Amino acid sequence: MATLLLRLLFLLGSPATLLTCAAAGASFPVNVWPKPTSMSWAEPHAAVPVSPSFHIVASSGNPYLVSAAERYAKLLFKEMYRPIVRPAINVTAGNALETLTLAVSDLAAPLQHGVDESYTLEILPTGAATVTAVTAWGAMRGLETFSQLSWRAGGRGRGRDLLLVAAGVRVEDRPLYPHRGLMLDTGRTYFPVSDILRTIDAMAANKMNVFHWHITDSQSFPIVLPSEPSLAEKGAYGEDMKYTVEDVKRIVEFAMSRGVRVVPEIDSPGHTASWAGAYPEAVTCAGKFWLPDGDWNRRLAAEPGAGQLNPLAPKTYEVITNVVNDLTSLFPDGFYHAGADEVTPGCWQADPTIQADLERGGTLSQLLERYVSAVHPLVVSRNRTAVFWEDVLLDAAVNVSTSLIPPDTTILQSWNNGANNTKLIVQAGYRAIVSSASFYYLDCGHGDFVGNNSIYDDPNSDYKADGGSWCGPYKTWQRVYDYDIAYGLTPEEAQLVIGGEVAMWTEQVDTAVLDGRVWPRASAMAEALWSGNRDASGRKRYAEATDRLIDWRQRMVGRGVRAEPIQPLWCRTRPGMCNAVQ
Amino acid sequence: MAASPYFLLLLFLFHPLAALASLAPARSQAPPPRVPQKVQVWPKPVSISWPLAAYTPISPSFSIRASPSHPSLRHAIAHYTRLIRTERHAPIMAPVNYTIVGVPIRLLALSVSDPDVPLGPGVDESYTLSVPPNSSSADISSATPWGAIRGLETFSQLAWSSGAAAAGGQPIVPSDIQISDHPLFTHRGILLDTARNYYPVRDILRTIRAMAANKLNVFHWHITDSQSFPIVLPSVPNLANFGSYSPAMRYTDQDVRRIVRFAEAFGIRVIPEIDMPGHAGSWAGAYPEIVTCANKFWAPTAKPALAAEPCTGQLNPLNPKTYRVAQDVLRDLAALFPDPYLHAGADEVNTACWEDDPVVRGFLADGGSHDRLLELFLNATRPFLVHELNRTSVYWEDVLLGPKVSVGQTVLPHDTTVLQTWNNGAENTKRIVAAGYRAIVSSASYYYLDCGHGGWVGNDSRYDVQEKEHDGMPLFNDPGGTGGSWCAPFKTWQRIYDYDILHGLTEDEARRVLGGEVALWSEQSDATVLDGRLWPRASAAAETLWSGNKGSNGRKRYANATVRLNEWRHRMVARGIRAEPIQPLWCPMHPRMCHLSQ
Repeated sequence: MATLLLRLLFLLGSPATLLTCAAAGASFPVNVWPKPTSMSWAEPHAAVPVSPSFHIVASSGNPYLVSAAERYAKLLFKEMYRPIVRPAINVTAGNALETLTLAVSDLAAPLQHGVDESYTLEILPTGAATVTAVTAWGAMRGLETFSQLSWRAGGRGRGRDLLLVAAGVRVEDRPLYPHRGLMLDTGRTYFPVSDILRTIDAMAANKMNVFHWHITDSQSFPIVLPSEPSLAEKGAYGEDMKYTVEDVKRIVEFAMSRGVRVVPEIDSPGHTASWAGAYPEAVTCAGKFWLPDGDWNRRLAAEPGAGQLNPLAPKTYEVITNVVNDLTSLFPDGFYHAGADEVTPGCWQADPTIQADLERGGTLSQLLERYVSAVHPLVVSRNRTAVFWEDVLLDAAVNVSTSLIPPDTTILQSWNNGANNTKLIVQAGYRAIVSSASFYYLDCGHGDFVGNNSIYDDPNSDYKADGGSWCGPYKTWQRVYDYDIAYGLTPEEAQLVIGGEVAMWTEQVDTAVLDGRVWPRASAMAEALWSGNRDASGRKRYAEATDRLIDWRQRMVGRGVRAEPIQPLWCRTRPGMCNAVQ
Repeated sequence: MAASPYFLLLLFLFHPLAALASLAPARSQAPPPRVPQKVQVWPKPVSISWPLAAYTPISPSFSIRASPSHPSLRHAIAHYTRLIRTERHAPIMAPVNYTIVGVPIRLLALSVSDPDVPLGPGVDESYTLSVPPNSSSADISSATPWGAIRGLETFSQLAWSSGAAAAGGQPIVPSDIQISDHPLFTHRGILLDTARNYYPVRDILRTIRAMAANKLNVFHWHITDSQSFPIVLPSVPNLANFGSYSPAMRYTDQDVRRIVRFAEAFGIRVIPEIDMPGHAGSWAGAYPEIVTCANKFWAPTAKPALAAEPCTGQLNPLNPKTYRVAQDVLRDLAALFPDPYLHAGADEVNTACWEDDPVVRGFLADGGSHDRLLELFLNATRPFLVHELNRTSVYWEDVLLGPKVSVGQTVLPHDTTVLQTWNNGAENTKRIVAAGYRAIVSSASYYYLDCGHGGWVGNDSRYDVQEKEHDGMPLFNDPGGTGGSWCAPFKTWQRIYDYDILHGLTEDEARRVLGGEVALWSEQSDATVLDGRLWPRASAAAETLWSGNKGSNGRKRYANATVRLNEWRHRMVARGIRAEPIQPLWCPMHPRMCHLSQ
């Protein structure tokens, strides 16, 4: 300890950097993303060194928490975060922080929707720290907060390599919404397991708690299911582009140890061309060009890769039963996402048996009802809540009666028409997950991926309007941050909104660029859903959030996440100077 | 669902014709199949003749020799020898119907007729490449070393790893192939802005390596801007000392020489740009007295903005010290960068920023004009650049076409001035060449790689709109809105590929278009995302400027290019360039099925 004190004296003697700036507004010299609900830091702001023998004490009752404690103790020293603007903080030459103690009242509480994630973190000036939480999952949120309050001293002198942590801090924190997710599409594009793990790790760092895994789509079927192995065998992009049972277990366990639920989605009956390799008899319009004669009204799919499960084929039900059984065995979460978006009339109409059925007076909606009335009970029988895309209820052409999707066992995920569709969903009595494409679709504004498209070559085309992206323009972090997912709802309706998900559709994304497309924009949603997008006075706090997000992005990059920059570095060192309005 | 590429690899091994593959003398058993030529070289060469679908393995002892040998080629020979020996390119869709014939190729012989031609504007980059049947050596002939380097890249892309037993684990190249190739435009570049955000040297080197792979030949280095001044100049080191983001975010003269040498070894020119008199806020740290309106909020309420974006500051044309510093800067640049071109910026001069200065206000009150201020600046810097430093001056179009501030043509003699266009698409190119200037085309509507990524300026309430934008509301967040990007939408590779940089020009005017540059302005880019922002969209421009965007029938070939670009991007990724995907993998595996019209 004597040595440590000696080093501290050097640190205190070092001159402050030119870049040091005063704390502005509601921000602290060191901040936590997402901003906690309540945080106090005694003034003058102080920090204590973290002892080289620092450890985190967690009771052994929950193995996930134990592994989280070990991980965060390592992270602190591995990270040695260097802030862009060095905090002007007095380092207390007192006791160094030796232990962080986790006190959890209900260690056995399972990770599930609505689980208590609240925690209290206290770091005393004397160098003792505790996280108090009801559940292990809340304690993990507290660990993350703790890690973000540490940084490397920097500057000159022998103390520059010291790891510091804010002292005299008390954080009381809990999320606004219980469902804060990221959807990743591994059907258009395969992502190696390592990318998925890194993404889940980054989610936990952002206190996001639901990894919505859109596993399959028309383009590929990458998951190897024990009862239906031929789906991946014939439907995956390649031998090394499959998720094995072991991969899935690894992902689920990895997520669990970070307090992240994994909600699997196998999209059907639309978006299933990839099933046709194994079961051509169960898939309509597979192998056909998606847009006959370039006529949108005659399309067989919303984008290239046409194919839908045939509700009139007995094989369909045999396969989907196996799929749902396998998925619910592999994924322990209480939610199962069954897709059901964008059922395209042209694809079903291309099938002779369906044509005959329609000629006999059947309707497309009846076909979907037939399918959903088989799938929904199947999901519920496996003790799962069924999640569907909003289309199943709101699609103008093909939809089902509410009686087939009882609100107590059904959640609907909105993506069209912004707040309007969220309202329609909750007014119908359903719980809603909000993924409005106008705010939360991370792929938008990147032009179109469809080839042989003359709009790019025609100066008089409508290229200028949207650049070919149906949901353009690009959603900046401010756009994501500002979204009020309960906009226009009555307090009672708002109760039914369980949260939101940013969505990464991957027509133009793969492992090469994943991080930059997702982060830090997903972080913007993470804060809005954790502690909101308004300050204490009720005003939107996007201006104040800018510098905090730059810092957080910097920390994420240091942790190995290739998040994109949101401004020139110049901006961070001149607070307010890069604003639209000063 | 079709088989995966890996599955196909297995398939062709059992293909009856593949079974004929042999290292025995060529065509001993059956003639190789005649198939439509399918050689994946990007940019597509001007002319390829490859009558039979036969391949020859590369020998494990493969080497490259130049005669006469020349120092300019030493690095390229080492690089390509290593690449060709070690790369095992596995195509997404491997050819299935071919034979393996002939003896392994052990030597690639380069013959260069004029090895001493220096790298510079307009240098001959043509080459011919042949892999004769039944020969253990292949040949590249070119007029200059720079043409030979293009040929080496082509040869490297001809090679792929079939996995066929007959190839003995070695890559194979088309046998009996003849390629004759040369660029349409002599200036094919990338602009990288290292001032808004800093890029480590290794990112620049990787970018240059990727440029060579795409046969691009100009790295336009927009080194400084208002946000930072990262280059350490020996005569004026304080510009970087006080203008760079941090000591770790500077380019030393050693760094610069390394970059220039590395680029030259790949036949790539480095054109340095120090933007002035605008975009010079970062100079104020060292020389506050020569910079007007520095460190002011860029968009004061109810007044004209002081800069086009946050971070203000312009050199003051009325302060004599401005010219002492500017000439030091230019002299140091010329010493560091051997290229005959030097880019001196001069875009977006802001009148309000100058007017912020009392001396300037006095000058204007006495009857002076903004145009006269710019003219003073150019007359005090340009002749020095041209006559003392022996450089061709390159400026942004603004200097001639600026709506608010510009100068007359007499200030900018045609023979020593090149103008780079960025506004109004083909229209401004036409104005530049019609005025008699040589033009470099960087139209923001096609070639700006930063566009369509939304705005980055903070505290912007325009995003905070919860409802669908209806009549009477400005379109901003909904489809058709810019989302905050002045040059939205995003330029897809097809948009870039389709641009005809000579659109609307007479033949005589067209001759003055040197070529084009895609531009990456770095407000929202840094090392973490660089590759994906540049590639493969810069590749689209690379092909259009090398061999054009039309097929032999004269029709735009973007449809055909789609599959090829998917393959090329796949190969670049394997070479360590994190290029973004342009389509789901399903698309190249199902050719034409992802078209808009079949």
